[in-house]
Amino acid sequence: MSARYLMLEATRQLRNTRSLIFSFAVPVFMLLVFGRAYGTTGIDPSTHLPWVMVTTVQMGGYGGMMAALGQAFVIVTERSIGWNRQLRITPLSGTGYMLSKVVTALVAGFMSIVLIFVISAAVFHPPVALGAWVMAGLALWFGILPFSLIAIMIGQFAKPQFAQPLFMTVFFGLAILGGLWVPLQIMPDWVTDVAKVVPSYWLNHLGDMGARLSGDALQPVLVLLAWTVALAVFISWRYRRDAARA
Amino acid sequence: MPVPGTLGTVNEPVIELAELRKSFGRLTAVAGIDLTIRRGEVVALLGPNGAGKSTTIDLTLGLSTPTAGTASLFGGTPRAAIATGRVGAMLQGGALLPTTTVRESVALIAAVHRNPLPIDEALRRARCAEIADQKVAKLSGGQTQRARFAVAIVSNPELLLLDEPTAAMDVEARRTFWESMHEYTDEGRTVVFATHYLDEADTFADRIVMLRAGRIVADGTPAQVKAIVSGRRIRATLPGIAAEDAAGIRALPGVSNLELRGERLELDAGRSDDTLRALLARFPELRDVEVTARSMDDAFLALTEGDDDRETEAVR
Repeated sequence: MSARYLMLEATRQLRNTRSLIFSFAVPVFMLLVFGRAYGTTGIDPSTHLPWVMVTTVQMGGYGGMMAALGQAFVIVTERSIGWNRQLRITPLSGTGYMLSKVVTALVAGFMSIVLIFVISAAVFHPPVALGAWVMAGLALWFGILPFSLIAIMIGQFAKPQFAQPLFMTVFFGLAILGGLWVPLQIMPDWVTDVAKVVPSYWLNHLGDMGARLSGDALQPVLVLLAWTVALAVFISWRYRRDAARA
Repeated sequence: MPVPGTLGTVNEPVIELAELRKSFGRLTAVAGIDLTIRRGEVVALLGPNGAGKSTTIDLTLGLSTPTAGTASLFGGTPRAAIATGRVGAMLQGGALLPTTTVRESVALIAAVHRNPLPIDEALRRARCAEIADQKVAKLSGGQTQRARFAVAIVSNPELLLLDEPTAAMDVEARRTFWESMHEYTDEGRTVVFATHYLDEADTFADRIVMLRAGRIVADGTPAQVKAIVSGRRIRATLPGIAAEDAAGIRALPGVSNLELRGERLELDAGRSDDTLRALLARFPELRDVEVTARSMDDAFLALTEGDDDRETEAVR
C-alpha cells in the first residue's frame, strides 16, 4: 500500500467528472433554492444560527455524505468488471483496497463540503466568522467517516442486483432522518427520536455546533466513532468469512 | 503414464499442487490434482471448457480456497508469493477499468508493487506503446489482452499465470502476443497458460498438462502427450475387402476405431508398427498405405470424449 497508489486512485476517480457532477450538482441546487427560500436574516430558534447557515450545513453534510456513499458504486462496478480480481494478485491487501476507497471518499467528500461552503459564502454572505466556517467544515468532514464505511459495506457485500435499491433506501433514510433536506423540527417528534440512531443526524448536529462555535461535541463525536468502529468490525468479519468461503 | 517435466529435478519447484480439490456444492470442478512445475518451464494447461483450468488457476493463486489439498507457490502460501510481487497473472473475468487509459491501468498496478518495471518498459514489452494513451473501453479484443498482459508483467514477476490469454484475438494478434511472450520467457521465467487452442499448446509450451473433468489425464512434452494418447492413423486400400473382414481387422493388435468406405480402410493404432505388420501379413494385397501421426485435435478428442455425465457435471 503506497501513498502513490492512494494518490493515483483518488485522482483517477476525481478526474471522472461526469460522476462528480452528479454527486455535487444536487446539493448545490438545493442550497440555492432552500437558501433563498429561508432567507439570510432569520434565526433558527433551535440552533441559534442564521437559517441560511443551517441550510449550508445541511447541504454540506448532504453533499459530503453523498460523495462518500458514492464509493459504493465504484466498488460494485470494480467487482462486476473484475478489476478487484486483478488487484487481488498484487501486494495490495483487502484492507489496503478498502482503505483506498475510504481515502477517496474523504477526498471527494471534502471537495463537496468546500464547494457548498464557497457557493454559500459567495451567494448569501451568511453573517458567520471565518473560524465558524472552518470548524463547521472540519466537523462535517470528520462526520462523513462512517458513511465511507457504509459505502464499502454496500459495495463489497451487496449482491450487484440489490446494490442500487439498497443504496437508495439507505441514502434517502439517512438524508431524511439526518434532517439534511428539511429540518427535523417540522416533522413529528417521534421522527427525531428515531433519527438519534442514525449517523447523519449527528453529522448535521456536529456541523451546526461547528458553525456556532459552541455546544458539547462529545456526544456526536462518540456516536459517529461508535458507528465507524462497528462498521469496521462488521466489514472485517464479513470480508474474512467471504475469503474463507471463496 | 504421466511423464515428468523435461527440465530436471534440480530446479526449484515454483508451483506445487497436492491432492487439490474444489467443489462448489455438488459440482466438483477440481477432482484431485497433483502437479509440480519447476523454474523455467513453460506449461500449457489444456482442456475443454469446464475441465477445471480456471478453477485450478484460481486455487493456485489463492483466490479460491481448496475444499481439500494444498497449493503452494515458491514453497510458501500463494498470498506470500503474490505479496512479494513474484507472480503476475491474466485471469478470466479480470478486466481493466474502462474509464482509464492503458498507461493509467499499468501505473495503478505498478504503484502497489515494490520494484515494478518502468511503465514504458512494461508497455513496450507487451506491444502496447502505441495504444498507451487510449481508454480501455475503446480497445479491440486483441488490444485489451495486450493491455492486460502489460498489467500482468509490470511487477516483473518470476511466474506468469495466463488464463486463455489469446481469447478474442485474431491470428495476427495471437502471433504478436506469443512473440512478446517468448521474449519475456527467454529470461528463464516460469509460465503457465490455460488454453483450449491445441496448436498453441503444441507450439508454445514445452510441457502440456491435459485436464479433463477436474483431473490430469496426460502430462509431458507435446510429443510425449501425443504419443501417449494418439498413436498413428493408418489409411490404405484393400481391393476386394468385404464387410465380414471388418471383425478380423479389429482383432489385429492395437487397432481402435476402424472405418471402411468401399475399398478404403482407415484405422487408429496405438502400436502402429505391430498393427501394420499384422495387417500386411494377413492382407498381402494391401496398397496405398499411409501412416500419419494424429493431430493434437485428435489426441484431444480421444482423451476428452466419453464419460459425458462427468463432463456436464464439471461444467461451471
